[in-house]
Amino acid sequence: MTKSASIDRRSFLAYNAAAAAIPLTGASIAGLTSAASALVRPAPIDFGSNLPAAGTFPAKWICGSSSCMDNTDPPVHVHWYNPHTAILRQNKAYSYEAPFAPLYFGNDRVLLLDEGFVQLRNDWDLRGVVDQCIDEWCRRNGRDPASLELLVAFSHLHADHYAATNQFADRPNTRYMGLTHEEMLGFWGMTNFPEERVALDLGGREILIWGSPGHVVSEFAYYDSYTQILYTGDMFYRGRCYISFWEPWFDSMKRLIDFVDTHPVAHVMGCHVEMSRGGEDYPYGITYQPDEAPVHMTVQQLRDTFEFAKTITKPGIYFTGTVFLCNQTRGTTTIDKNPYKYD
Amino acid sequence: MRPARRRPGGGSCVDQKPSYSAALSGNPQSATGAAYPNGNPDLLYNRPGARNTDSAVPLRRDRPPVVHNYSCDGPAPGNLAFRWTYGSNVAARNRDPRVQVVQYNEDSFVMRQNVCVHWEAPFTYLLFGNAGALLIDSGATDNAQHYPLRETVDAIITRWGQARGRKNIPLTVALTSGEDIAQNQGLVQFVGRPDTAIVPKPLEVMKRFYGLGSSWPSGTGKIDLGDRVIEVIPTPGTHKDGVSFYDPYCDFLFTGDLLFPGRINIGNDRDFVTSLERLKAFAASRPVKWILGGHVDMMFVPGQYYPRFRNYKPFERVLEMTPDLIDEAITSAKAVQGKEMMLIRPDFVLFNGVSPDQRTREWPAGVPKIDTPRPF
Repeated sequence: MTKSASIDRRSFLAYNAAAAAIPLTGASIAGLTSAASALVRPAPIDFGSNLPAAGTFPAKWICGSSSCMDNTDPPVHVHWYNPHTAILRQNKAYSYEAPFAPLYFGNDRVLLLDEGFVQLRNDWDLRGVVDQCIDEWCRRNGRDPASLELLVAFSHLHADHYAATNQFADRPNTRYMGLTHEEMLGFWGMTNFPEERVALDLGGREILIWGSPGHVVSEFAYYDSYTQILYTGDMFYRGRCYISFWEPWFDSMKRLIDFVDTHPVAHVMGCHVEMSRGGEDYPYGITYQPDEAPVHMTVQQLRDTFEFAKTITKPGIYFTGTVFLCNQTRGTTTIDKNPYKYD
Repeated sequence: MRPARRRPGGGSCVDQKPSYSAALSGNPQSATGAAYPNGNPDLLYNRPGARNTDSAVPLRRDRPPVVHNYSCDGPAPGNLAFRWTYGSNVAARNRDPRVQVVQYNEDSFVMRQNVCVHWEAPFTYLLFGNAGALLIDSGATDNAQHYPLRETVDAIITRWGQARGRKNIPLTVALTSGEDIAQNQGLVQFVGRPDTAIVPKPLEVMKRFYGLGSSWPSGTGKIDLGDRVIEVIPTPGTHKDGVSFYDPYCDFLFTGDLLFPGRINIGNDRDFVTSLERLKAFAASRPVKWILGGHVDMMFVPGQYYPRFRNYKPFERVLEMTPDLIDEAITSAKAVQGKEMMLIRPDFVLFNGVSPDQRTREWPAGVPKIDTPRPF
């Protein structure tokens, strides 16, 4: 812990996993209460071969209920995509935004992307759920949870993605992203947003991060080199992609296309789902989506959307077949119609 | 000397003349929000309305059923004294009653569906007369486990019947709109209930039920509860089968989706204006104390409202509207007629031909814009 506090953020990002492992086994052992677990620390997990690491999405995510107060689902749906990757989803009866949040495990660090739309632990205990996931992973892999650093970051600067951040304020060995554009860039050590692509080393597992503005100014795309999941936040997801700034959004799409041209991508994944399998819009704020579309998309769907986007010249709502592109319409209009209209 | 008007303490009332100040005379957080939370000393002690409130006194056991006197000067006394349940930030953890019951007076009940069972949180009204009861609207949820409307209504009717010495109380279930799924879902809970008449949903059959077969939409129908005759006024506009009800006892107009403090989605703007004008003419010929709609979406600051699907509405406006709001509704309805637009007013918002989630940057002139706090 003393070691990691003494290095600045930029060198921390560039830190080699093997190098990071040495001070941890050396300096941290003294602080461990259970000497036994530390002494038998297993060999590092190999995150570098047989890629992409296989994984599965659930056939159905929890998706709310017709009566919210009668919802009996867990507050957070924890799905283990594979043994080293969990994907969390907030229950719609706890917040209608119900964002998805990946939790990536490396040999040295754990990365949590997105913290839901409920602030207080007594309302929605995200911190407890994340701690549980980390404990479970450590138990399976013979690690001490105290030896893992948790990075609490988010896709972009909207409250439904960082509301629970402060639940981690008193968590040891944890760093979390600040709630300004400057602090977000600083957290990843970026000086040339959005083009600059930085590599975060979780300990053998590399996360590539670059800027993806358009929905908001302060947004990142995250690529996990192990599962090869490209996490596109709120700028591209199965629902209403609210495009606040067209030009930056289009450039960000181009950046994603350039990335998938040069890197293997298994799945593209956004933060929300707001439509049914059949492409029907679930209106903003609804708390029950019984037939919701899967959260993951293919690279082809991303490419098709980009091709579609090339034809868009005016503000408005466009359905691409995969997503709704709401070009500069958020403050004015939506998709839904009054069902009781008559002549 | 005014012998009927006794002042407590008597004596020199000249210097004691109350000029009302909430800070000095009352509790500003008074649940009723009444102008005189400690009572108005200028009013009579023995007011005529008292005779309309004596039908449940416990001296009446082992007597024939009480026949209540529903004729009164002015509106029957009554009070919506409590705050409506307003959901919770985390809907799954809400533990409020699923059906909130507020007794307006002995013979009039208001029920609200829990906001965390259904975001529409509709209001349902139960009115009693000497020959039966009327349930206006039925809520947004059919599942009786989630929304036990039938059980609640049955229990109120049982208790009311015991107080009045009545065993059989026929129930009529009527809807302000048969097609509105925010108000017709609870209907299935009443299917097969003994001694119950459910106003049929299809428009043509409904018209015949009210005796409006040939006079729709200009005539009025009647539901006689026994000395309390509820009038049925055709008010299409938000729904093509919309009706409003007038209660001559409490002097209430129950307007459902047509006029309520919230987001009013106009189904047909021509009908909407006509119905409001019909309502205005009706209200001019009868005393109207309050208009009670089917929902509340507005906040207690002017022009601000909750969007659809919200399970947490801590800053709701009160339910009741005063009849002068009909004029404002007519003016606003004419302003949006023939246009696809939304229009924000202090006490309601009109949506004409646009999405129910439409937003606008147009803020009404002269209305203060007060930001309300977010849940966190």
